[in-house]
Amino acid sequence: MTTASIKSPAGVPNWLSLGIVFGLVGAASILLWGPIGVSGTYPRVIGEIARALAPVYASENPYLVKMGSIFRGETFLVIGLLIGGMLGARKDVAKAPKVENPHAGVETNAKRYTEAFLAGFLLLFGARLAGGCTSGLIISGMTQLSLAGFVFAAGVFATGIGTAKLMQAMRLGGN
Amino acid sequence: MTNFYALLTGIAMGFLIQRVRASSPAMILQNLRLENLIIIKFMATTIAVGMIATYTLNLFVPELMHFDIKPTYLVGVLLGGLIFGVGFGLGGYCPGTCVVAIGEGRRDAWFALGGGVAGALVFTLVYKSVIQPIVELMDYGKITVQSALDIPAIVPALVIGILLLVVVKVLPTQIKQA
Repeated sequence: MTTASIKSPAGVPNWLSLGIVFGLVGAASILLWGPIGVSGTYPRVIGEIARALAPVYASENPYLVKMGSIFRGETFLVIGLLIGGMLGARKDVAKAPKVENPHAGVETNAKRYTEAFLAGFLLLFGARLAGGCTSGLIISGMTQLSLAGFVFAAGVFATGIGTAKLMQAMRLGGN
Repeated sequence: MTNFYALLTGIAMGFLIQRVRASSPAMILQNLRLENLIIIKFMATTIAVGMIATYTLNLFVPELMHFDIKPTYLVGVLLGGLIFGVGFGLGGYCPGTCVVAIGEGRRDAWFALGGGVAGALVFTLVYKSVIQPIVELMDYGKITVQSALDIPAIVPALVIGILLLVVVKVLPTQIKQA
C-alpha cells in the first residue's frame, strides 16, 4: 500500500521517477495530439445526451455549442484513465479499499458517498468556470506557461489546504 | 491517429496516477493537510520536466507542436480555482483521478463522478445567465509568461522549471506521520 514512499533499487523515490515519466508523457502528448485535459469531457457527455433528448435546447445553449462533440481526443484520454487505473491496480498486492475516509475520525459509508458527490459537484462547477482542472490548467497550463494555470493552481491550493484543515478540526472536535 | 494517441496518453496517465497513489483520497488529504508532500512534489516534478521538455522540443520541431493555451479571464479562473479547491479538500478526488479510482475498484469514486456530472449540468444550465458575465471580466486572453514578458519561451521554461525542481529537492517529503 505504501508503494509511493518505497525507493527503487537505484535510490530514487517512486514519486520522483513517476513524476519525470509523467512530465515526458505530457510533452509527448503536446507533440503528438494536444495537451491533456479531463474536465471538458463532462459537459460534452451532457451535450450528447441533450442533443438526443432535447435537440432544440442543445442547439440553443451557447455552452453546449461551444464545447462541441464528444468524438475527440480528450474523450479517449478519459477512457484511457479508466484502463490505466485498472492496469496500475493489478500491480498492487492489496486491493484498493472500496470506500476510504480521507479525513480524521470515523465516517459512515453513506456520509462518505454524500461528501464525494458534493465534492464532485464543486470540482466540475469550479473547473468549468475556470476552463480546466488539475490536468488541463495545473499540469498542461503550467507546462505551457499559461498564466491561467498559475492563477488556478493558487486558488485550488488555497481553499484545498484550508478545507482539509477545517475538516480535520471539525471531525476531531467530535462532530 | 489523434484518438489513438490520446487513448495511449490516458492509459499512461491513469497508470502513473494509480502508482503514485494520487487516486487515493486519503493520500490527497494527507498532502492537503501538509502531512506529507508526495503528490505535491510529484505534480511539481511533472510540470517542471514537462515545461522543459515541451519548450526544448519546440526549439527543434515547432511546426509539430499542438499547443493549446487557455485564456486567463482572471476573475473566473481564480473563482473557479477557489471552488474547485473546496471540492478537492472535501472529497480528495479530481475530475480525472476519480475515473482512475473507478478503474481500481473504489466505490466512492462513482459518487464523485456522479456529482461531477451534476455540477457540469448545473453549470451548463446557468451558463448564459450567470457564467458568461463572469468570464468576460478581466479577460487577458491566451496570455503566457513568454508573451507577457516578450521573451523566447525556452527562457522562462528553464528558469521556472529549474526553480520548481530546486523547491522539490529542498522541501521534505514526510512532515508528520499521520
